[in-house]
Amino acid sequence: MRATGQLQNLQGNHACAMGAIAAGCRFFAGYPITPSSEIAEKMSLELPKVDGIFIQMEDEIASMGAILGASMGGSKAMTATSGPGFSLKQENLGYAAGAEIPCVVVNVMRGGPSTGLPTRPAQGDIMQARWGTHGDHGVIVLAPCSVKEIYQEMIRAFWLTETLRVPVVVIYDEVIGHLVETVELPSPQSIEQAERKWASGPSAEFLPYQKTKDMVPAMARPGDGYRAHTTGLTTSESGFPTQDPGQVEAMVTRRLGKLEHHAADIASYEEIDCKDAKIILVTVGISARAAARAQQQARDKGLKVGLFRPITLWPFPVVAFRAASKKATHIIVPEMNAGQLILEIERLMSAKQTAVGINRIDGEVIDPVAILEKIEEISRA
Amino acid sequence: MSNIEKPVYLEEKLEEIQASGHLEYRSKSLPTWCPGCGYFSIVEGLTAALNNLSIDPDETVVVSGIGCASRFPFFIDTYGFHSLHGRALPVATGIKVANDDLSVIVVGGDGDAFAIGGAHIPHAARRNVDITYILFDNGIYGLTKGQTSPTSVLGFQTTTSPFENHDMPLNPLMMLLSYGASWVGQAYAGHPHHMAGMIEEALAFKGFSYLHVLSPCVTFDKTSKTYQNLGMSVRPLPDDHDRSDVMAAMAQAQKTDAPALGCYFEQPRPTLADGLNDIAARAAK
Ligand SMILES: Cc1ncc(C[n+]2csc(CCOP(=O)(O)OP(=O)(O)O)c2C)c(N)n1
Ligand code: SF4
Repeated sequence: MRATGQLQNLQGNHACAMGAIAAGCRFFAGYPITPSSEIAEKMSLELPKVDGIFIQMEDEIASMGAILGASMGGSKAMTATSGPGFSLKQENLGYAAGAEIPCVVVNVMRGGPSTGLPTRPAQGDIMQARWGTHGDHGVIVLAPCSVKEIYQEMIRAFWLTETLRVPVVVIYDEVIGHLVETVELPSPQSIEQAERKWASGPSAEFLPYQKTKDMVPAMARPGDGYRAHTTGLTTSESGFPTQDPGQVEAMVTRRLGKLEHHAADIASYEEIDCKDAKIILVTVGISARAAARAQQQARDKGLKVGLFRPITLWPFPVVAFRAASKKATHIIVPEMNAGQLILEIERLMSAKQTAVGINRIDGEVIDPVAILEKIEEISRA
Repeated sequence: MSNIEKPVYLEEKLEEIQASGHLEYRSKSLPTWCPGCGYFSIVEGLTAALNNLSIDPDETVVVSGIGCASRFPFFIDTYGFHSLHGRALPVATGIKVANDDLSVIVVGGDGDAFAIGGAHIPHAARRNVDITYILFDNGIYGLTKGQTSPTSVLGFQTTTSPFENHDMPLNPLMMLLSYGASWVGQAYAGHPHHMAGMIEEALAFKGFSYLHVLSPCVTFDKTSKTYQNLGMSVRPLPDDHDRSDVMAAMAQAQKTDAPALGCYFEQPRPTLADGLNDIAARAAK
């Protein structure tokens, strides 16, 4: 990506829309919901200028259905929402995972459950993003923590969904969504456009869900002569429904294995001063901004503290985390929920390590001071 | 109907309500709507109607979805259920089925009803669940700050239709008439006296009653469904309108340029409770 040299003030949600368009997104279907509405509003203004389509649907179920249809038709497609709408999208998100339809879903997190605190920030959908839909399924979740990173991660989201045929969810909290930062965006021409693997070769031999080396089947698109059927039923490689245990297992295994096969490409994280760290902070979004500050202040005081920030939240970058936390005795997980990310950390850490949560569930952000205090408390002990 | 043309001011109305003791239905929580929002007069209309019919607030549940309109239950001193966006009708159906003695009133906005909640309306209507649905139509999404709604007119410019709205607006009266709603009427927030009378009729009716209330959003709509535009275009239903004639009702519902106020259609038929009682009786045999 080449920089333009032009600085601009940009809101996180607008950066989301612009990153998507730069990545080649040409279809957006959505339904207004605070604090994500600026993404839809920006798309309604910008997409028509680049021959793209914006459509406001009657609800989130319809929005999600529309992007699946558009994606099947060959468009790079996305939707954006917040917690309640994200829940409504889950059934179709499961369809996307099963039928392997590329799509990007943005969730700007607010306080929940239900209408909760519609204008206040939260990070309560960390587990919904991973496990919101039904059945065994793979999903990629990206968690940017700045305006610039939202832009970059939208580009990566489209890259991953198009090349791997896995739905990609991008989540960030209301603060990051409404944050205005000065950024320098790359020139749109310098952004490499992901190309889906399309069906090719003799149509009689085409298998819509063929197991290939890279685990990603080629996709047919209406009008190309391959006449494939798309279904939410479990199919054999031919794309026709099957209940044959062997074929069913092979299909589910390939879909899940696809993520493992490409794990190195999917994983992304930021690591600060982890090598010698006795205490590691693990967190995302606005909490990571606070954690970075606290980490710096702790180092200034001579405390061995590092920060590990998953940018790809799911699948969690296990290998990198374990390597980064080798010397750590304590892992602190600041998050604006009652304790979700910490569950994954507890699962991954060694028996000698202790996980400590710093949680806020009152619609307010976590203060760096609170994190520093916890670091000092642990260091004293 | 004669008072349709007469302008009424809220303060005037308040004095009247105060004098008649209607205020016992008013919640201690004051409405949080923008000054001038049409919804204020619906609170007045409903409290007046409840009072005139001597409906016990302890036996009343006001159910809503999500939106500015759906804040309504907080502002009235009955039981309230502020449900999910678009899902008020299934909740109200459950409440009514659980206790048929309750008066169940559903309120909500046009987006809540006809966008996300659209799938529930035909079923509440055809089942003829004995509730009153008061729909506040401002043709815009107020709570989320001014996006296009399913009743936004063609050419309307909003934050999600910067190049103007090209989606044909729905015709809610036509929809409800064809869904089989057994009582269908229309009122205007600018004519609160008439509206209060309509609410009273709708509440008194046994079966699914639907009252469409045209109500300006003064904050996000400066050009379309304003007091000025609506005030100039609304008219009473013709004196000879036959409310038992669904075709006549539909013919009136088509005249969207000059929305007619009044009861379009009324046709009592067995309610959901009647059906359930019949099922119970057969099962007991
Ligand atoms: C599932 C879900 N999607 C979106 C929203 C956001 N939302 C709240 S109210 C509303 C629309 C409000 O418009 P309307 O129903 O017409 O009522 P008004 O505010 O105009 O009274 C929307 C989209 C939500 N609360 N839940
Ligand atoms: S935004 Fe519009 S609908 Fe909502 S309270 Fe204000 S005037 Fe009424």
